[in-house]
Amino acid sequence: MFETGVRQLRMALSMTWGRPFSTDSLTRLVADAVATIAEFGELGLEAREVIETPFADAADRADHADRSLRRTAQRLAERSPFYAERFAASGFQVRTADATTLLDLPVTTKQDLMSRPRDFVCHGSRPHLATRTTGTTGRALEIWLSRYELEVAAALGALSAVLHDELHADDLMQVHVSSRATAAVQLASMTCRLVGARCRVLGIIAVEDALDALAGSATTMSVNASYLAELVVSARRRGLGPADFRLRRIDCVSEILSPAVREAAEQTFGAPVSDNFGMTEVIPVTGTSCSAGHLHHDLTMGHVEVLLLRSGAPAAPGELGSLVVTPYFPYRECMPVLRYDSRDVVRQLPGPVECEQAGIPATSAVLGKAGQLIEVAPDQVVTPRELVEAVEDLPSRPWPARFHAEPDGGRLRIDLPAGAVAGLSSAALTDHFAGRGLDARVRVLDDHEAPSLRRVRSDLRELSFAAPEPVGA
Amino acid sequence: MGTPTSTTLPTLLALSVAITGTLVTIGLAVVYLRRVRLDRPAIGTFNGVDIVVVFGFIVALPLLYLVLPLTPLLVVLGLTFTSALVLGLRPLIGPGATWIVVGTVIAANVWMGRTMLGTVVGWQLFWIENDVLVVCAAVTTANLYVQGGMRLRHVAWFGLVLAVYDAVFTFVWPVTNTLAQRFIGWPFDPSVGFRVGIYNATIGLGDLLIYGLFVIAALKAYGPRAARGAAVIAVLCGAVVPALLPVLTDVFIDARTDVIVPAQAAFGPAAFFYYRWLLRTYGAERTMAGFLASADVDRPLPMPEPTPEPTPATAPAQPLVGSVP
Repeated sequence: MFETGVRQLRMALSMTWGRPFSTDSLTRLVADAVATIAEFGELGLEAREVIETPFADAADRADHADRSLRRTAQRLAERSPFYAERFAASGFQVRTADATTLLDLPVTTKQDLMSRPRDFVCHGSRPHLATRTTGTTGRALEIWLSRYELEVAAALGALSAVLHDELHADDLMQVHVSSRATAAVQLASMTCRLVGARCRVLGIIAVEDALDALAGSATTMSVNASYLAELVVSARRRGLGPADFRLRRIDCVSEILSPAVREAAEQTFGAPVSDNFGMTEVIPVTGTSCSAGHLHHDLTMGHVEVLLLRSGAPAAPGELGSLVVTPYFPYRECMPVLRYDSRDVVRQLPGPVECEQAGIPATSAVLGKAGQLIEVAPDQVVTPRELVEAVEDLPSRPWPARFHAEPDGGRLRIDLPAGAVAGLSSAALTDHFAGRGLDARVRVLDDHEAPSLRRVRSDLRELSFAAPEPVGA
Repeated sequence: MGTPTSTTLPTLLALSVAITGTLVTIGLAVVYLRRVRLDRPAIGTFNGVDIVVVFGFIVALPLLYLVLPLTPLLVVLGLTFTSALVLGLRPLIGPGATWIVVGTVIAANVWMGRTMLGTVVGWQLFWIENDVLVVCAAVTTANLYVQGGMRLRHVAWFGLVLAVYDAVFTFVWPVTNTLAQRFIGWPFDPSVGFRVGIYNATIGLGDLLIYGLFVIAALKAYGPRAARGAAVIAVLCGAVVPALLPVLTDVFIDARTDVIVPAQAAFGPAAFFYYRWLLRTYGAERTMAGFLASADVDRPLPMPEPTPEPTPATAPAQPLVGSVP
């Protein structure tokens, strides 16, 4: 108990003053939390405040952001060749850096990272693990993380999971993300190890194999939305229901999760599905969705801006913009980014929200990648989320949604495989999309063309010798 | 009443004080554990390191008491008792009444210790008031530790180490004797005591604390039957034997003719062996969660309603997998 108090104090000082964490102390703090639950059955009151910075007051939020940004920028100026050069070229003064002056600095793009990856590695840091994006929207990007970064992210993640009652020592977590996403996989296994839970990393394997492993054993699952959709379809085909599973939570990361798939997954697996935002480039900054569907951003570990897609100016309430994220030091230290433009499009909420996380700034859920927005008319943009939600809501339940859409003379043309529109007349299809705000004309294609219509992460199949499964099956 | 040279009266007095103090302390500690829940830290449970820390305080504090001038010493003791009383009473009577009661008890102790020690009756009244203070402190502290996750294993090892400590600091470096002399006649004497004639008999707060800890840790770990056995050991080895030993030998009589018995030397080994027997007989100890779920807990006293959670204004939880492919 005495030691635990000292560890909490050390963590709080690191969070407040921006000093590097003692990873050993953080790790032991997780063990303390687990031991507390083992002894008392639950944590004490106000346990969550241990790792969360109070952000009720806007002035406190701004002060935290300004101090963290200044600290992060100062370190980048000293140690990051890319940012030292960029700051000099922009006349950016790190000593006076804050959320306002930051706006004068150009955002960091994926192209910057792709073209000069070595210049992003900070002097004095020791790269340990390379992790790659899946490259579903282009070439895969490689990010190096230090051992310190992984240990801090895993420990804070584990602590958060324990404090929020999301992971127990007797849990078995089944992980279905691409094995190329080494950081995600590593963090999942490290988190489980710290909590004492079991971890089964399966990747994107044959769905039937995944279901066999899932049934009756796993209690939590981390999964991409498209693979979750395939699991639901397969489970329903086999007549499996909640009684066949022991799941108590499903964490969906990345990709667009439609209400139809979410609801079906909850009914089939008997566990709530949480929809989270995360991105390799900005680890460990994340976002979580609330019951109202807002995306609430992690203000403790990073600064989040929403910038207009064309001008780069801050988006006003109601406007679409790209999420631009800056992970703070001491959470990132090896290959950090400042103002990283994710190109993930969100909409600024029109006003204050009244959800269970009302004190935390929020945006809409991610609506899709900026490059996939469809401008039907000069003032009318259709987002990938609208399309995914509309397609996945078709009576045939074509999950995950396979479609192609493009503007067509002031309307939208949606290409769908025949199986997705089975039993629906042309008029019914038009009505279906019109009911969801989409003025669309549907073109029906052969089913075998479906996988090429829209790439999803569940396409990244990891085959085995025993049961090879065609991609997109 | 015996003459000053007789050993009968001081022995009976010592026996009465020790048995009464022990029984009242362990009885109240048990009732408190069964009925009242103390606040505990959000994260953390009592472990071996805490035992080391507490033992460090036990070693360091007496030395501090010896070197501190009297006034700061009394201030430290006063703050210690105030804290213990506030912690213990608040769940029972609420914060407002607690401060009134604690203020009254502390003020009365100071006033009585400064003005009433000129007569035997004055001494007796002072002791009664001081005894209430000390017993409350022992009951609260014992509950704070056990409700904080302290296990019978910790208490048993603690008692064993204290047995050595007590013997050493009584016979080799007679700190205990010096401290007992220093505290007597001043407010906040950390002992339960009473006076008859020219004799004062006391039993230390530390002794009562370990007896209370032992019994309620046994109750938490193995239930009422184990607690009854622990209570018998506490009374016999912690109160009766130390009170009777001076009758058999004069080794405990110091140069001032004060009788100082290292009670832990008798209690510690007995408690440790009893714990080992319980462990072998009944297996692993219950956790606090197991105890609270058992029939050994009485219906808790009504607690003040927690303040409703305001609109959450803290950072959201991190997704379990903090990155995406």
